[in-house]
Order: sequence, then C-alpha cells, then structure tokens
Amino acid sequence: MGKRMSKAWIVMTALIIMAPIGILATWNYGDAWGEWGEVQVGDNETWEPQQYGGAPLPDYNVEGWDSPLMASIGYWLSAIIGVSMCIFITLGVGKAVELWRKEESSGNDGEK
Amino acid sequence: MHIPDGYLGPLTTITLLAVMVPIWWYAAKIAREKMGDRSISLLSMLSAFSFLVMMFNWPVPDGTTAHMVGATLIAILLGPWAAVIGVTIALVIQAFFFGDGGILALGANCLNMAVILPFVGYYTYSGIMKLMKKDTARNRAIAAGIGGYIGINVAALAAAVEFGIQPYISPGYCPYGLDMAIPAMLFAHLLVAGPVEAAVTGFVVGYLKSQEDRYSDILNVEKWVSGGD
Repeated sequence: MGKRMSKAWIVMTALIIMAPIGILATWNYGDAWGEWGEVQVGDNETWEPQQYGGAPLPDYNVEGWDSPLMASIGYWLSAIIGVSMCIFITLGVGKAVELWRKEESSGNDGEK
Repeated sequence: MHIPDGYLGPLTTITLLAVMVPIWWYAAKIAREKMGDRSISLLSMLSAFSFLVMMFNWPVPDGTTAHMVGATLIAILLGPWAAVIGVTIALVIQAFFFGDGGILALGANCLNMAVILPFVGYYTYSGIMKLMKKDTARNRAIAAGIGGYIGINVAALAAAVEFGIQPYISPGYCPYGLDMAIPAMLFAHLLVAGPVEAAVTGFVVGYLKSQEDRYSDILNVEKWVSGGD
C-alpha cells in the first residue's frame, strides 16, 4: 500500500499545482447556476439569498485577493488547507469508528 | 451544484436534513462493520480528491460554470457507503471554511452529491458490468464512465427540483421555478460536468484494472456495501 499511496500523493500534488486552472478557466464567467449572491428578478428588483454566518476563506480565496495572480495564490492555499482537512477528518472519523467498534466488542464480552 | 444558504425554504431545508440523519447513521454502521486500515486511508485520499476536483470549475456555454464531484469513483472503488462519508466530509469543509454550499443547505447538498450521485453511479456501473460478458479494463472504464455520467446528472436534476419547487412552496426563497432550474442545471451537467465526471471515473477505474497486478490491493479492498449488494 505504501507505494500505491505515494503515487496517489503525486496525483494529488499535481492537482493542487493545477488548481488555479479551476478559477482562471472561468475568470470571465458567472457563478454556477443557482449560486449567485444576488439575482435580478424584475427590471429594478433584485433578490438576495439570506446568509448565515461567514466562511474564513469564501470562494476559496482570501478576501481582497482579487487579481488573477492573487486569486490563484488564494486558490492554492485553499486547496492545500482543504486537502489536509479532508484527510485528517476522514482519518479522525476512522479512529472514532474504531473506538466505537472496540466499545461494542468489549460491551459484548461483558455480557458473556 | 452546491446550493447556497437562503435559496431553500425552511420546509425543504428541514426535510432534507432529517432525511440525511438516518443515512449518515447507517453509513457509520456500515463503516463499523466493513472499515479496514486500507479502506480508510484510501477513503481519506479520495475525499481529498473529491474536494480538489470540485475546485475545478468548467465553463458552461450559457455563462455559468460546473464541476465534477468524483462520488461515483469512490463508490466503485470502496462501495457507495464509503462515498457517502467521503463526499459528506468534503462538502462539510466546503460549506464551513470556503462558503461553497450553504450550512443549512448541507442536508440538500449531501443528499444530492454524497448519496444520490454515488448510489445512482454505483448501481448503473454494477448493472452494466452484469450485462458485459467480460470483466476487462475497457468494459470497466465504459461502465464507470456511464455510471459517473448518469449519477451526476440525476444528482443535478435533484438539485434543480429542490431549487425549482421553492416558488411554489416557500415564496421569498429561490426565485426561479422548475421551468428555469431544470433546463439550466441539466444543460450544465449533461454538456460539461457530466462528460468530465465520466472521463475521470472511466479513466481511473479502467487504468486500475489494466494494471491489476500492481493495484490488486486497491482493487481487492473490502467494499463498504450493505448486506445484499
């Protein structure tokens, strides 16, 4: 598994390096459908979705890093943080499941 | 496909969160039964992979963007219940840290991308594989590609319905009805995100099978499936 995993890391690193393509390729495009911060509903009327709290890195960027270069750096930062968090949280969930399993089996032993 | 907060009314929001609770619970029970060291470390990488591919926005000719999810790939490699957990973790991080997808909308987004997508993709794939005479790399790639394509489009349709029913049941939320939401979401996913999901899912699944000897540990890892699957 070790070698397989190092190959997975190479793919992951390549994707992180390429991540800014994900924002640069759609630089002059709008948001995904239904993900707008404001919607034109009439001639002079707009509708805004209600927000609940803010995210530390909204839209995978540091607020104010608006140029393509700075947004790319923000994107890299977000990719690295997001990947690390996915890995740590999934492994954490795995640890929790393992503890749950142990508790369950020791509980069963107690019943015997 | 990440529905932001404020688009879904309270009825939809609460219903879909309520639907997700027993699904997450069942996924955890399957994990307790099936999880091994190899499958959990592979899942951690695939959850990160899903997070990353969702950052790649692809241009849609109508001026919007769309992205793949990678949920069918996880479902094929590790079983659909592993995909529920792996994609949910990516979506939770996206919602809380990157404002991609609403926090209250997590029920809807997880149902679409972490449940409907991997299950439709997985059963499409396994159904096609049953019809195929030979278990070759090429056949697996085709079946996985079709599974990914159908999975992401059914998920997009589900998201479109969730958006589009709001004007009828919860005025003041998503202003667009089904007549706008369904064509827009399907256009983006049939034309752009679907082919990307199909290509990546098909390529990875086919590649692993073509290098069977080297990747036997990945191919033979115990799948997180429930009893009869």
